[in-house]
Amino acid sequence: MTIAPHASTASSAASSDAPLLDVRDLRTYFKTEDGIVKAVDGVSFSVEAGKTLGVVGESGCGKSVTMLSILGLNTKAAWLDTTGSDDPGREMEAFLRGTKKHLSVSTGHASMRGEDLFQMTSHRLRDVRGSEIAMIFQDPMTSLNPVLSVGDQLSEAVLLHRNVSKNEARDRAIAGLIEVGIPRAENRIDDYPHQFSGGMRQRVMIAMALINEPDILVADEPTTALDVTTQAQILRLIKELQEKRGTAVVMITHDLGVVAEVADDVVVMYAARIAEAAEVHELFGRPLHPYTWGLLGSLPRVDLEVERLTQIGGQPPSLLNPPRGCRFNPRCAWALDRCHVELPRETANEFNPSHLDACLLTEEQKLAESARITEMLGTRGNVS
Amino acid sequence: MSDALLEVRNVTKHFPITRGIIFQKQVAAVQAVDGVSLSVKKGETLGIVGESGCGKSTLARVIMRLLEPTSGEIIFDGHDISRLSQSQMRPFRREMMMIFQDPYASLNSRKRVGFIVAEALTVHKMGTDAEIKRRVQELLEVVGLNPEHYNRFPHEFSGGQRQRIGIARALAVNPKLIVADEPVSALDVSVQAQILNLLKDLQSEFGLTYVFIAHDLHVVRHISDRVAVMYLGKLAELADASVLYDSPKHPYTGALLSAVPLANPQLGRQRHAITLEGDVPNPINPPSGCRFHPRCPRAQAGRCDVEVPEVVPVDPSHSVACHFPLERWPMTPEQIATPERVGVGSAG
Repeated sequence: MTIAPHASTASSAASSDAPLLDVRDLRTYFKTEDGIVKAVDGVSFSVEAGKTLGVVGESGCGKSVTMLSILGLNTKAAWLDTTGSDDPGREMEAFLRGTKKHLSVSTGHASMRGEDLFQMTSHRLRDVRGSEIAMIFQDPMTSLNPVLSVGDQLSEAVLLHRNVSKNEARDRAIAGLIEVGIPRAENRIDDYPHQFSGGMRQRVMIAMALINEPDILVADEPTTALDVTTQAQILRLIKELQEKRGTAVVMITHDLGVVAEVADDVVVMYAARIAEAAEVHELFGRPLHPYTWGLLGSLPRVDLEVERLTQIGGQPPSLLNPPRGCRFNPRCAWALDRCHVELPRETANEFNPSHLDACLLTEEQKLAESARITEMLGTRGNVS
Repeated sequence: MSDALLEVRNVTKHFPITRGIIFQKQVAAVQAVDGVSLSVKKGETLGIVGESGCGKSTLARVIMRLLEPTSGEIIFDGHDISRLSQSQMRPFRREMMMIFQDPYASLNSRKRVGFIVAEALTVHKMGTDAEIKRRVQELLEVVGLNPEHYNRFPHEFSGGQRQRIGIARALAVNPKLIVADEPVSALDVSVQAQILNLLKDLQSEFGLTYVFIAHDLHVVRHISDRVAVMYLGKLAELADASVLYDSPKHPYTGALLSAVPLANPQLGRQRHAITLEGDVPNPINPPSGCRFHPRCPRAQAGRCDVEVPEVVPVDPSHSVACHFPLERWPMTPEQIATPERVGVGSAG
């Protein structure tokens, strides 16, 4: 993964060396009864072919909305061109206040192989969704249609995107179910979702997402509703299929354990922004953001006896009215005076330019605290 | 065991499945809990861990006498409470309290916090109105809430704060035992850590005894002194927390430990994963012999599918229900699949 420091220019023309998916300065705001929720507020990252990007954060940090915005899946969404504006947020708020038609607005850039997802016609975007980028969700029961057999739902996905006959689509559906390890797939294809267990339903979802061989699979908390042994099965399945087909995976999760197991690169989100981004061993071996320290310290561990968890005080902030300066400053034990006024941007570190963090502490401070924490948690060996 | 606060002896809970409308007859039973025995010492935390449907929540409700046990005995503080009537149960109700999973569903949204926390005090007539109010405010302070929020409604609080209200409610009558059923599984990591620390602090402050039920192996290790692993209504393994996690004896415990994601990529990725195939079987018609045998990598035909393994001690603080307990830990999947000494187990 390469996450260029903030405010980089948007990629324009399609080129061969463009990353598979590139997101620059994405913002998404929602209009609600209580005011304008700044759900995503300046997020940049990219996804490389065949790799797994873990997006981790607590509920409401904007990790799901980021991916939904890119895929144009927010209800009554609009895109606003704020290129050159010095305060895109204010323009977006003004736009939302002035419109009755839209409930959400996004700005920024998201491109797939250089092709801008926000500039696409809705027809082209429908093609991309399900065929080039597919998504699976947390709860397979609510994302499958209960009154259609799984075979119909799988075939539908094929028929929408490929020019094949119904019989061919059905054959592909069976092949898809076999591939995700559903026993007796030929018999079970006419079963309804309620006839499958939770783990099996998630396998059906994966089969459906992968049936058109997409380049990117976005998995939004795919194992949160599952038991630990089933979770292991599903994570292994995603990994196997990824290796076989070279699919890139964006794994959205709140579980640092899942990220540590499957991700190549990790983005840690807090209150609608990226707090830290790095290669997975680098992140666990040398975390640099106080929020990441807090997350790691508050995690109970099977591999470690900890007398007392180091907790992060307080609650995650409301995105209606995020705190001034660094979003984490009200909960941060290290906050300086300038943290209360200055909004930190993700900046690359000298010792490892691919490790970004949005924190105003000095590098020495960060490295010293990071060394202390990783020593305590036994994760220091992840970096040499 | 004289220092045991709670003893569960051979407790079984079957839920009947009936057919017919007027003339109902039982056609089958969900064997939710089947012959579980364990004890909880004063002042300790017993963790009960297992996957969904293993009977851990049913066991909690049977212990609390919210469900009637089908058979077996529950000895609380030296008294057999398993056959007491509702009115005979009353004096025991204030000795044992429960904390629930969902902080949104477990608080009455139409009642003020002060009422919710005070309810048990009022029911048990523990003090005058003024005393109760003072006690409630004190409790709110103990669990880290502002006592002035006495008059607020539950919806005005966040998930973590609501769970604190649930804890204050459980503490109100000074119980000896608190049964917590998945108290932190609905919470975010940072809030979860706050609640876990609070529970530990309260335990040392008030000398509480906890039965802590969770599916999260990390949380259970952190909070528990001893841990019981359940599978499909049966006790699989019971040991001191560090012993269980460092040298599991039951293949199911081993599989759980090898499947749980570790927040350490270096460590997690060099583990040998023992992946179990398939799902937990149906408790209406559980497998013969050892209930784990259809998914067990070391199941031996002729033994595991025929003979139900008894829970036997492998050393004084460690019991396991397996014919072929693990010889060491960690093990590779190949080592797991080939028990070294065929014949070790209950039959001895």
